[in-house]
Amino acid sequence: MSANLSTQTFKPYTGEKARISRAYDYLILVLALFLFIGSFHLHFALTVGDWDFWVDWKDRQWWPLVTPLMGITFPAAVQAVLWGKFRLPLGATLCVAALSIGTWIARIFAYHYWNYFPINMVLPSTMLPSALVLDAILMLSNSLTITAIFGGSMFALLFYPANWPIFAMFHVPVEAGNGQLTLADLFGFQYIRTGMPEYLRIIERGTLRTYGQIATPLSAFCSALLCTLMYTLWWYIGKWFATTRYLSNI
Amino acid sequence: MATTREHTAVLVEDKKMPPWYLKDLPRYLAGFAVLTVIYMGLRIYQGAFAVSTGLDSTEPVFEIYWMRLFYIELVLDVLIASGFWGYLWFSRDKNLDTLEPKEEIRRYFTLTMWISIYTFAVYWAGSYFAEQDNSWHQVAIRDTPFTANHIIEFYFNFPLYIILGGCAWLYARTRLPLYAKGISLPLTLAVFGPFMILVSVGFNEWGHTFWFREEFFAAPIHWGFVIGVWFALGVGGILLQGTTRMIELLDEIEDAP
Repeated sequence: MSANLSTQTFKPYTGEKARISRAYDYLILVLALFLFIGSFHLHFALTVGDWDFWVDWKDRQWWPLVTPLMGITFPAAVQAVLWGKFRLPLGATLCVAALSIGTWIARIFAYHYWNYFPINMVLPSTMLPSALVLDAILMLSNSLTITAIFGGSMFALLFYPANWPIFAMFHVPVEAGNGQLTLADLFGFQYIRTGMPEYLRIIERGTLRTYGQIATPLSAFCSALLCTLMYTLWWYIGKWFATTRYLSNI
Repeated sequence: MATTREHTAVLVEDKKMPPWYLKDLPRYLAGFAVLTVIYMGLRIYQGAFAVSTGLDSTEPVFEIYWMRLFYIELVLDVLIASGFWGYLWFSRDKNLDTLEPKEEIRRYFTLTMWISIYTFAVYWAGSYFAEQDNSWHQVAIRDTPFTANHIIEFYFNFPLYIILGGCAWLYARTRLPLYAKGISLPLTLAVFGPFMILVSVGFNEWGHTFWFREEFFAAPIHWGFVIGVWFALGVGGILLQGTTRMIELLDEIEDAP
């Protein structure tokens, strides 16, 4: 049985058949919402995790590199199905919106209300502008190559400017304990995390930071290059998982 | 045509009933409600007792509030799995060759509802309680694999979504002709892949017990969970299989206003 719906032509349903079709759409919508909150959030938490959980992990070097790189995975895989098979230009936005819902619920009820971390310490980052642009480029170009190169790059490059208005205030310098640090650092020192001690914090390592304020654009462009490759890889992973094969045994 | 009072009542009654293809809608909504009450109940329980009784596993009170809950969960896991899976298997349709198109459409709706309930359980296990694990292990000293969040996440939430995924797989296999003739690869991937997340608990606990006590969430020790959840993308293939068959079935039934 062929599942290539895009090559077939259909006349619109009317009456009861239209209602059946629409009811099926709504069921799938609910299904997809919880599926992508649950699955993309788990993937994201266990790969980007700490850079997204804690304000003092949101540095200039690793945060803008790791977050888009791991964040473009599910959007690419879902676009491969929703655009490739259903001509729906919303795969990336759906995934990222679902992720935002999941992270916000967890930060408020799991971190703030249960364990009393200040909500400012655990604000999630956003990839919504990146996802909107990724979907728009795919819709306008209808091309995997162009979306991978330009969409993937924009997904990474937009990440830091999109988040700067949210997190800039935590990067202002303060003086504490006879030393200069950021407000974000101070959060980390004031609210002790038994499972994530200071020696594990991966921020601003190596020589990249010696470039001063150029560190962030360098990380962002490095991420842009990797995102073009990651996008293509995950497009094919999404296609592979969306197989319609039936097996005789498992 | 004259309409009697009884007739009017029946017509009004019919209007309130869901259409034939959504016959299982009330049960579907009830499923959401029951799961929501269970998960929120567990979260409220954690909020009420975790700090006062769940920080030190050597305290006798830990045994009462947390290990008892763990044993109850294990019993419930077995009861729910055998109840649901047994029901779906023993009530299977043995005459699938004579299935009417309308009934098959209805069953595709019900399968989608099963998968939807499954993904709702995946949400609680993969999103909320998973991130909460990180939060709890930042304030508790981890002195046991059975922490106040692990007991709920690993031994109730994970088994429950596996049970519900198994229900969806069994429902398709026992009630829909295409899934009975061949084993759907995407449905199998979407159910068995996330099942491997439960298996990864073993590696996670081994690692945390012997060489990595901290809770660095993005560390490789957790990537077994990540690979397991990628298989949820198989749902795309299930939808393609379902949509393609639904189009064929809609062509087979009469138009109705």
